[in-house]
Amino acid sequence: MELQELQTLWSQVSEQLEDQKKLTNDIIMKMTQERYANKFSKISVYETFGAIICFMAALYVLFNFGKLEIWYLQLCGLFTFLFLIILPVLTLKSLRNIKQINVAESSFKDTIVLFQKAKNKLLLLQRVGIYLSFLLMLIILPVASKLLKNKDLFLETGVWFIYLPIMGIFLFFFSRWGYGCYKSITNSAENILNELE
Amino acid sequence: MSKEETFTQLIKEHQGLIYKVSALYTEQQQDQNDLYQEIVYQLWKSYDSFRGDAKLSTWMYRVALNTAIGQLKKKKRAPNTVSIDQSVVHIMDDMDTELEERIKVLNAQIKKLNILDRGLILLLLEGKKYEEIAEITGLSHTNVATRISRIKQKLKSKMIKK
Repeated sequence: MELQELQTLWSQVSEQLEDQKKLTNDIIMKMTQERYANKFSKISVYETFGAIICFMAALYVLFNFGKLEIWYLQLCGLFTFLFLIILPVLTLKSLRNIKQINVAESSFKDTIVLFQKAKNKLLLLQRVGIYLSFLLMLIILPVASKLLKNKDLFLETGVWFIYLPIMGIFLFFFSRWGYGCYKSITNSAENILNELE
Repeated sequence: MSKEETFTQLIKEHQGLIYKVSALYTEQQQDQNDLYQEIVYQLWKSYDSFRGDAKLSTWMYRVALNTAIGQLKKKKRAPNTVSIDQSVVHIMDDMDTELEERIKVLNAQIKKLNILDRGLILLLLEGKKYEEIAEITGLSHTNVATRISRIKQKLKSKMIKK
């Protein structure tokens, strides 16, 4: 469609939209008063809830660290603790960066650049998180077993024969899916960033 | 006139603008309603900070377009906004089918463009001069002109491909 055709159609639509005005004062004020949870706000709720659970688990590991007597269990405990603190903090931080974009003050171009960069960062973090989560699942098992049942799982090889293959299959399919999602979203974002910068 | 009254009057006058922006940056009807509400909310939130340094329409377009950019792709959501959603849904439902058809044709063409170009073409179609488009988008006057010329080419070539 040529621009001129678009312009004609646009004017017709605009005129008709003028006649369709149906918003009432009540509806408008409802929209401003009841905080509508946009998609990022909703994600933030999930992430915040997840972070609280992670922090509680991290504190549990920290307060019971003394029970992990052997060096390899201590190493697993330390990784678990760091993972449960660092990753949620980084995720919440990048979500906050996205939400801090001032829609009234920033120009359209700046908003696109800021948003795409923040989104790329968040997606990268989520992707790293996927892989690290598998490592965490592997490492948290002996820690949990020791803290909850006082058993050293490294001495019970039978469990690993079942656990490791299942984990491997999950990792393969989940990471392939994660990578596909990440690639398609970031590719389109990168194109616009390259054009603007 | 109270602040609420001035604001509601402003939204009523420019509801077509909000509708067009939300239609251009969403794929599903539900997302469109969500974006519509979010734009109204963001306009209300920044209403106090609007000092009149810029033109009213410049401020409105800026908030509306920036809010549209901040929306994520469609996600499954809990039905927690039913009361407001329904109000907007009815407005959209009441549109005559001919108008709806026209909007679909128009949007199908514009949605082939990327998010930046969509904003530019919207402003151009709304009759904005290059100076105001540059002010809203933060691009230079020359850049606006170049990009619009490219958009025209893109639209032409897309028509040929069809």
